[in-house]
Amino acid sequence: MRKSTHILTALLAGTALALTGCAGGSEPVAQLDLQKEPEYSGTLSILTKFGGDPLEPYFEDLAEEYTKLHPDVSFELIQETDQSIKDKTKTLTASQALPDIYFTWAGNWANNFIDGGLAADLTPVIAPGTDWGSTFGESSLKAFERDGKFFAVPLYNNGKFMGYNQKVFKELGLNPPSTFEELISSCSVLKDAGYEPIAFGNKDGWPGLHYLQQLFAYEVPTEELEADFDPKTAKLENQGYIRAMEQFTELINECTGSGKDSNGVLYTTAQQALATGTAGMYYQEVLEFDTTASEGSQLKNDGLGIFKLPASAAAKGDTKAIEGSPEGYLINPKSENAALAVDFMKFATSKENATKLSSPPYGQPSAVKGVVSEHNSTGPVVEGIKQVNDASEAIIWLDSVTVPDVADAWLAGGEALVAGTQSPQQVLDAVRSASSAAK
Amino acid sequence: MTVSNAIRRPAPSASGSDAKGLPKGRQADRSRASRWRNMVWVLPAVLLLCVFCYLPLVQNLGFSLLKWDIYSGRQTFIGADNYLKMFNDPIFWKSLLNNTLYAGISIVFQVFGALVLAALVEGLPSPRWRGALRAIYFVPSAISLTVAGLLFYFIYEPRMGILNAALETLGLGNFAQAWLGQENTAIFGIIAMSQWQGFGYCTLLFAVALQRIPSELFEAASIDGVGPVRRFFFISLPLVREMSSLMMIVTVSGAFQVFNEVMVMTTGGPNNSSQVLGTWLYRSGFVRNDFGYAAAIATAVFVITLVLAVLQLRLAKRRRVEW
Repeated sequence: MRKSTHILTALLAGTALALTGCAGGSEPVAQLDLQKEPEYSGTLSILTKFGGDPLEPYFEDLAEEYTKLHPDVSFELIQETDQSIKDKTKTLTASQALPDIYFTWAGNWANNFIDGGLAADLTPVIAPGTDWGSTFGESSLKAFERDGKFFAVPLYNNGKFMGYNQKVFKELGLNPPSTFEELISSCSVLKDAGYEPIAFGNKDGWPGLHYLQQLFAYEVPTEELEADFDPKTAKLENQGYIRAMEQFTELINECTGSGKDSNGVLYTTAQQALATGTAGMYYQEVLEFDTTASEGSQLKNDGLGIFKLPASAAAKGDTKAIEGSPEGYLINPKSENAALAVDFMKFATSKENATKLSSPPYGQPSAVKGVVSEHNSTGPVVEGIKQVNDASEAIIWLDSVTVPDVADAWLAGGEALVAGTQSPQQVLDAVRSASSAAK
Repeated sequence: MTVSNAIRRPAPSASGSDAKGLPKGRQADRSRASRWRNMVWVLPAVLLLCVFCYLPLVQNLGFSLLKWDIYSGRQTFIGADNYLKMFNDPIFWKSLLNNTLYAGISIVFQVFGALVLAALVEGLPSPRWRGALRAIYFVPSAISLTVAGLLFYFIYEPRMGILNAALETLGLGNFAQAWLGQENTAIFGIIAMSQWQGFGYCTLLFAVALQRIPSELFEAASIDGVGPVRRFFFISLPLVREMSSLMMIVTVSGAFQVFNEVMVMTTGGPNNSSQVLGTWLYRSGFVRNDFGYAAAIATAVFVITLVLAVLQLRLAKRRRVEW
């Protein structure tokens, strides 16, 4: 009986491994000629992050325009939201069904696709100095550079800013704070006047991470911070992490209306609080500006102002750095339509289409040089992009710059800091342990 | 007593041949051929079951022994490493604890609570009221879990939610809190929603089981002076054993497969406090890129639900009631 059980178990395990096709790997991809004239026929599949209003029509319109120019080309658009695109992309990757063109963030997210041979090397067509590459800001291209090669088409730039209600600030005699300490002081003025100083919703965890990453950039020297993102070189010993986390908890407790309850609040609820004039400030991405101050909103009437999250007067890191990075699109090297995909992306980043992308209602500041201006973009978007371009360093989002296990540890730690269930030291210990396990 | 043609069997003859005089060997050949013919009818169902149920199970077992990089497609055999990691993973144990809590609370409310409610409803003299109450209790079950999850997210919302507003109105403002935003209340908030959603369905099934009990038993007990509570414990409860066993299996298996409501309401947070096995499996695979480990968790979920189902089925068999 025991012998037959062993045989059965061995057979089952053997079959299981045989069925999974253990030790597989990606097939070598033939060298693509992306410079050749494409064949204007076939179906281009595109995975975008423009699902839902108001962004969804952008790629739909682009596809329609492109089909007018090339009637034999059709499109299969898969439009996902910021949250759902992560799962969708990974499902398509695991099932080896990535579309011809697909969305990417910069940092570890893009590097996974590049290292896995799932992103076409676009250097010959998009590197700085090429015809197409010269149309983009160089820093936008460099965000997707790996070993001297360029892999993504940057579509728009992004950065994180504190958005504030100009009318409320004026009424209360407040000026945009220049230090973290001033920011905390302004919170009590807003609170006394009956406003929620900073609207904050951390149900998804990442809004907290955005605060933390900007504060880390201010408190930890850049070289050390960047080394700590990679588990192979990470030490995570700088006391700046503790200081940054202490500042974060101070801000949550002193400035947010929801305080320790913020883990139960959606970020869109917080966004609404600024839009409707009940909150004085809300920390947001450039991409959100036109949504928060949409036509007809109270904030549109009162005026949306922005300032960079101020650093502490005693900050020891790079206080001129800004959190944010461009977002772009990769081209599947196994695509039969790779040359056509490049042609479509050139069309999408033409001056005309880049201008359309940067204008309301889309408000996504194009990575194409000279497009974002007062003529087509709102004031806060123009100002935000100017500050991003002037920043000493663009610090990529904490949840995409490092490996997922470490990012997940930061996310859980951020939630614990908000709820007050862990101290900054406990959070740092947990992250250190996740980082050393991920080596 | 009549015997249908389908089950009539010819009596074997003393000489080793059947009624038609066929020798035993040919008789066996015929019955074997008949068996194979019957197999042809069930083969499509067996094939479908193998392809869509058992093959993925076996494949999953294989994946759990691998380190799988979805980007390069590289799969490396690492033996039981994923299982060792699982045993040392505090979030796995936290998730298992949450699932167990889920199962325990669900048994109390969705099995025992629903049975009591069904007995109360069925005990009502007015058939109109009985029908109306059955429908009222059943309505939440007709709402999808995702929608119910969203609905309850807004009920629990700390600042705009009606639960905290109701507490404030009743002078119980001290109890108002971020139900889903705190580590010690998040999982209970989700479980409470799930009870609300599943309670009516169980009540309806118990009502059907109670209706099947012959009314003579209740009438005889009443004539003997047995009160409603004792009638419930000595007649209703024993005679719906089979349904309660079934409900226990469904409830417990469901509690270990819970996913949608947690994803919608908390995604396992804050600080992983409301993770359940399903969401931790998902997060390990789709967020942390560790698909081999996710497969190991899936195997654990399968083994747990299988063992619980087998145990409960055995118990149910012993307790089968016939009348």
